Amino acid sequence: MSVKDNAVPAKVLVTKIGLDGHDRGSRVVAAYLRDAGMEVIYTGPWQRIPAVVALTQEEDVDVVGISSLATDHLIVPKLVRALEEAGLAHVRVVVGGIVPDDEVATLQERGVSKVFHPGSSREEIVATVQRLAQEARRERPEI
Amino acid sequence: MSDVSTAVDRLVGGDKATLARALTAVENARPQARELLAALQQHTGGAHVVGVTGAPGVGKSTLCNALIREWRARGRRVGVIAVDPSSPLTGGAVLGDRVRMHEHDEDDGVFIRSLAARSNAGGLAASTTDVITVLDAAGMDCVLVETVGTGQSEVDIARTVRSTVVVSAPGLGDDVQAIKAGILEVADVLVVNKADLPHAEQCARQLRAMLSLREVRAWQPPVIMTSAQTDQGLQDLADALQRHNDESNVEDAAHGSIAFADWPQRLLPRDRFAQHLGIELLAGGGGHASVRMRVQAEHISFNGTCHGGVTFSLADTAFGLASNSHGVVAAAIDAHITYPRAVRINDTLTASAVEESRGRRFATYRVIVTRTDGATVATFTGTVAIIGDKQNRDSQK
Ligand SMILES: Nc1nc2c(ncn2[C@@H]2O[C@H](COP(=O)(O)OP(=O)(O)O)[C@@H](O)[C@H]2O)c(=O)[nH]1
Repeated sequence: MSVKDNAVPAKVLVTKIGLDGHDRGSRVVAAYLRDAGMEVIYTGPWQRIPAVVALTQEEDVDVVGISSLATDHLIVPKLVRALEEAGLAHVRVVVGGIVPDDEVATLQERGVSKVFHPGSSREEIVATVQRLAQEARRERPEI
Repeated sequence: MSDVSTAVDRLVGGDKATLARALTAVENARPQARELLAALQQHTGGAHVVGVTGAPGVGKSTLCNALIREWRARGRRVGVIAVDPSSPLTGGAVLGDRVRMHEHDEDDGVFIRSLAARSNAGGLAASTTDVITVLDAAGMDCVLVETVGTGQSEVDIARTVRSTVVVSAPGLGDDVQAIKAGILEVADVLVVNKADLPHAEQCARQLRAMLSLREVRAWQPPVIMTSAQTDQGLQDLADALQRHNDESNVEDAAHGSIAFADWPQRLLPRDRFAQHLGIELLAGGGGHASVRMRVQAEHISFNGTCHGGVTFSLADTAFGLASNSHGVVAAAIDAHITYPRAVRINDTLTASAVEESRGRRFATYRVIVTRTDGATVATFTGTVAIIGDKQNRDSQK
C-alpha cells in the first residue's frame, strides 16, 4: 500500500430511494461528510434502484448512504442485492433515518453495514463512514 | 497478460466496470495509471471533446443535460466529466452537477463522472486530461467537460478540449459585461442560455457586437440562443459543435498533425457498424478505399445466399471511407446498387471505391464488389455532399 492511500478522499454517494421526498436530512449529512474532507456525490430524492447502481458504478464510490424517513428502508436490501449482482459487493451501504429497532437487525443481516438514527452525532457518522470507505477500498479491485 | 493489458482490452471493449476503475486510477494517480494511459493512447482520437464553461447559475448543467439528449438522439455515445470545486479548507466537495443530468443515469450510452477540482486553484481538476483520455479510449463519440467559470478555468479548459462553449444568460447582474474579452478569445461557440427569459436577444446582440470588433479568423464563433428548458437551439448547438470539430480536423490535417493518407485508417475504427460486420481496411486515401469482409452464417438471407444489405453495407463502407479520405467531412445523399451474382457463406468479399468526380459541393464514387473467385457481385454508385469548410479547403491548395 502506498502512502497515497490516506491522501485520497473517501467517495460517498448520498441519495434517497423510495417515495419520501424530504431531503433535508441527506443535505445535512452531505455537508458533514464534505466538511470532513470527503467527496460526496449528491442526488435528489426518488431514485430508482437501477439508477443508484449505475451511479455507484460510474462514480466508483466507496459508500452509499440512503436516507429514509418513511418506510423506504424496507427496499434497501433490494439495493444491496442489486449492487452485488453488478459486481459491486465491496461497496458499503448505510441507512440514516427513522428505522424501528426490530428492523435494524433485519437490515444488518441483509448486508447493510450501519443504521444511523436521528440522534447519531456528526462525529459518529463521519468516523463510521470513513472506516467503511477504507474497508471498501481494501476489497475493491484496482483496475 | 499483465493487469494493465487485460484492463485495456476490457475498457476498449466497452466494459463499464473497468472504465469506472480506470478513471479512479488516473484520478488518484495510482501506480498503474501511467502504464495504463500509455497503453490507451493508441485507442484515442475518436472522441469530440467539448468544454462547457460559464458563471455559476447560467444553466451549464441543465444545458449539458439537454445537449446529451440531442447527441443521444443522433446516436452518439457520450462521456461526461462534471468538475466541481473542492473546499480549500478541508479538501472535501459536494458534487451535485449530475443531479440535473439524472434522466441519463440508466442510459448505457452515457457515462457521467463527477470530479472534484481538489487543490487545483484554476477550477479544472489536474487529472482532467487523463480522464478525457480514458473516456476517449473507451469509445465515447463525444466527451463533455463541464466546469465553473472562474476566469482562469476558461483558458485552462480551452487548452484541454477541442471545442469550448462559453455560456452566459440574461438577468445575471452585469449580463454580458461579465464576459470578459479574454473569455471571448477562447470561445469557439457562444451560448446565450435561458432564451425563454426577457433580454436574451439583447444579450446575444451585445455578444455579436463584441465579436465583430475582433480580427477576422478562419473560425468565427457563432452566438447561439438556447433554452435548456424548452430545448430551443439545442440542434443548432450540436450542429455548430459538429462544424467546429470538422473544421478543426481539416486544420489539423493542413498542419500535418494528421496525414490525409491516414484518414481511412483513422476513420474505420470509429465506425461501429463496420466493426460489427468485421470489415477490414485493405487500402485507402486520396479519394479511394478498399475494404474486405468474410460472409458468415449470420449474413445469410431466407434464400440461403448473402443478404443484399450486407453487400450494400460493405460497398457503402468503402464509399464512406473514400469520400471522407480528403480530410473534409462528406455525407452520403444518394446510393444505388446492382447485384449481378449471388454471394454464399464463407465467400470473402472485397469492395473497392474510386472517385469519379469531385466538385466544390458534391462528389460521386463507383464501388465494385468482388467475390473470392474475382467475379463481380455488385456495382454501386454513390453521391456525397461535401459539408466541410470550403474556405479551408481552398486555402490548402
Ligand atoms: N428559464 C430558464 N431557466 C434555466 C434554463 N437553464 C437552466 N435554468 C435554471 O437555472 C438555474 C441554474 O441552472 P444550473 O444548470 O444548475 O446552472 P449552472 O450553475 O451553470 O450549472 C436552475 O434553476 C435551472 O433550472 C433555461 O434555459 N431557462
